[in-house]
Amino acid sequence: MRAALVIAGKDLRERIRDRSALILAIVAPLGLATIFSLLLPSGDVAFRTELALVDLDDSSTSAAFLSGPLAAIEEAGIAGVVVLDDEAAAREAIEADDVEAAAIIPAGFAEAVRAGEPAEVTVIGDTSAGLATEILRSLAEGYVAELEAIRLSVATVSAALPAPPTEAEIEALVAGAIDTPSPITLVDADSELRRMAASTFFPASMAIFFLFFTAQFGILSLLAERRQGTLPRLVAAPIPPWAIVAGKAIGSFILGVVSMTVIVVASTLLLGAEWGNPIGVALLIVAAVLAAMGITALITTLARTEEQAGGWNAIVAVTLGILGGAFFDLSQAPEVLSRLSFLTPHAWFLQGLDELAAPSATLGDLALPIAVLLVIAVITGGIGLARARGLVAAR
Amino acid sequence: MTESTAAGAMLVCDDLRKRYGDRAAVDGVGFHIAPSETYGLLGPNGAGKTTTISMICGLLERDGGSVTVDGRAVDIGTAAAKNAIGYVPQELAIYPELTATENLRFFGQLYGMNGADLKRRIGEVLEIIGLDDRAGERTDQFSGGMKRRLNIGIGLLHQPKLLVLDEPTVGVDPQSRNAILSSVEELGRKGMAILYTTHYMEEAERLCDRVGIIDEGKIRAEGTRRELVGMIGERDRIELSATGNLAAAADAARAFDGVEEATVHEGGLGLIVVEAHRILPRLLEAVGEAGASVTSVEIVEPDLEAVFLHLTGRALRD
Repeated sequence: MRAALVIAGKDLRERIRDRSALILAIVAPLGLATIFSLLLPSGDVAFRTELALVDLDDSSTSAAFLSGPLAAIEEAGIAGVVVLDDEAAAREAIEADDVEAAAIIPAGFAEAVRAGEPAEVTVIGDTSAGLATEILRSLAEGYVAELEAIRLSVATVSAALPAPPTEAEIEALVAGAIDTPSPITLVDADSELRRMAASTFFPASMAIFFLFFTAQFGILSLLAERRQGTLPRLVAAPIPPWAIVAGKAIGSFILGVVSMTVIVVASTLLLGAEWGNPIGVALLIVAAVLAAMGITALITTLARTEEQAGGWNAIVAVTLGILGGAFFDLSQAPEVLSRLSFLTPHAWFLQGLDELAAPSATLGDLALPIAVLLVIAVITGGIGLARARGLVAAR
Repeated sequence: MTESTAAGAMLVCDDLRKRYGDRAAVDGVGFHIAPSETYGLLGPNGAGKTTTISMICGLLERDGGSVTVDGRAVDIGTAAAKNAIGYVPQELAIYPELTATENLRFFGQLYGMNGADLKRRIGEVLEIIGLDDRAGERTDQFSGGMKRRLNIGIGLLHQPKLLVLDEPTVGVDPQSRNAILSSVEELGRKGMAILYTTHYMEEAERLCDRVGIIDEGKIRAEGTRRELVGMIGERDRIELSATGNLAAAADAARAFDGVEEATVHEGGLGLIVVEAHRILPRLLEAVGEAGASVTSVEIVEPDLEAVFLHLTGRALRD
C-alpha cells in the first residue's frame, strides 16, 4: 500500500506541475458555470410584468376586475397594475414600454352584462411581451366567465319570481351570488419542490462534466509511463504490479474528489449555490468520482495510445454530458432522451442533488442515485482495472 | 577480478528462451556474472540483448530457462530478487516534470528507502553522477547527457548488488559518453557486479572483464577479451575504405587465398585475413580489378569486432 501511495503522490505532483489538472478540474468547470449563470435565464429570477387597466364603464361591475383578479396578481408580486384614462393612453404606455399589456373595459359594459347582451373586454399588448398579454387575457377571460355565471344565476332566480325583480332586488341577488361559496374548492397542494436552483445546477453540471476529464488522468498516465519509458522501471521495482495500478487509481480519486470539493465550496461562496446536506453532497461526490473513474479506466485501457485514449474519453465525456443533462434541463427534453439520461452517471448525480434540494430531504433519498453510481463504478471499474493490471504485467 | 564458474555467482542465467511468434528472440542464452565482475553482452541491434535483460529484471515472462540473482530466483513479483537489481533501461526512464532529487526520491521510496538514509543516499548519487549542482532543477531542463546520467543514478540509488545497464550510451554526445563509461568503470572498481549490453565494441573492450557475444538470440562465444581474440588466432582485420562495386570486391576478396571473411559496410569492406602484410598488395590489386576504388587501408590488431566478424560473418554495425 505504501508503494501505491508513493506512486499516487508522484502522479499528483506531476499533475500540479503541468497545470493541466488544475485547468480541467477547477478553472474550466468554475469558469463555465459562472458564464452560464450570468448568461442563461435562471428559474430563480421571478417573473414580473407591468399591466394597465382602462375602465371606461366606471361601474361597480367593472371595478370588480381591478379589485379582484388584478389586485390578486399584484399582491402576488407577479405584476404591477396602473389605471389609465383611455385606450390612447394605454397604447402610448405600451409604446413607451411603461406597461406590457392593457385591458380596456368599454363604457356600458355592466349594463350589457346585466341585459344579457354581448359585452367584451379588450386586451392589447406589446408584441414582444406575449407572456404578459396572455396572462392579462386569461385574467379577463376568468373575470368574464365569472360575470356570466352570476348573470345566469340571477336570471334563473328572476324567472322563478312571480314578478320581474326591481333594481334593488337584482343588486341583492348579484351580491348573494358573489358571496355564495363555490361548491368545488381548488386547493393548491404546494407540492414540495425537489429541484436544485440554477445557481447550483450550473456548477454541478459542469463539475460532473469535467470530472470525466480529471478522472482519466490516473489510468491514462499508465500509457504515458509506457510511452516515456518509466513503466518498465516501475515494473522492475520490488513492488507488486497491483500497487502500480492502485497508485494510479488513488491519484485519480484524490484529484477528482478535491476538484469537486473546490467547485462546491467556490460556487457556494462566489455564485450563491446551495448544494444541500454536506454529508449527502460528499457521498454523491465520492460515488460520482468512482463512477467516472470506472468508465474512463475502461475506455483508456481499450485504447492503444495516449492520444487514442484521450480522444475516446473526450467523445464519451461529451456524449454522456449531453445525454445526462449537463448542458440543458432534461425536464424540457423529449421523453426518450429523459429516459436515456438515466444510463449516465451525470443524470444520477444531478438527480441526487435535486433530491437534496428539498427542504425535508434525508440521506435516505440519495440511496438510489448513489447505488446506481456505485454499480456503474464497480462494473466498468472492475473491467477497467483488470485490463490496467494487464498493462503492468510482465509479458 | 573475475570468477568464471557459476558457483557463488551474483547472476546466473540458464537456458533463457523467448519467442515472438515464429521468431526466437532469445534461444538458450546462459551465462553467469561473479560478484564484482563486469560482464558485457556484445551484439548488434536485434541480437536479443534487451530481451535477455528484460527477462533478468522480471519485466518479461520467460518461455524457458531460469534466472537467479544473489541466490534468489527471479520470477514475476519476486521482490527480494528484484531488490538486488539496479535496472538502467535503454530509454530515458525519468519524469520530466520532476526535479532530479524528486526523481531519485520517488524511485528510492519504491525500493523501500526513506528518511535520512534516503536523503543521504540521494546526495551521494547526485555526486557520483555529477548532478549535485542541478539537483533542484526539473529534468526537462537537462541536456541529453545529464538525463542519461540521472537515468543511471536511479539504478544505483538503492545500492543494488547487480547493476544492469541496457545500452546506456545510445544517442549520447562523446563527452557525456565518456563520463558515463568512467562512472561504470568506477562502480566496477568498487566491486559492483555489472551486466552491460552494448553494440559498441570499444565500450565492451574498455569496461568488461568478460564478454558474451550474442547474435540472433544465442551466445556465440564468451570469455575475456584475450580469450575471445585468441579464437581467431594470428588473423588480422583489414578495413578498406572504398567506392565502386563493393559487392563484387567482397566476392573477389573472399575468393582470395588467406581471406577468411569479407563483409561490405558503409564506405568500404571489412576483412579477416591471415598474414595481412604478406597478401595485402595482391589483395588490393584483386579488389581493384573487381571494380572497387580503394581510398585508404587500415590493418587493425585483432579485436572484438574481428571476433564478431569471424563468428557471424557480419560486422557488429550490421
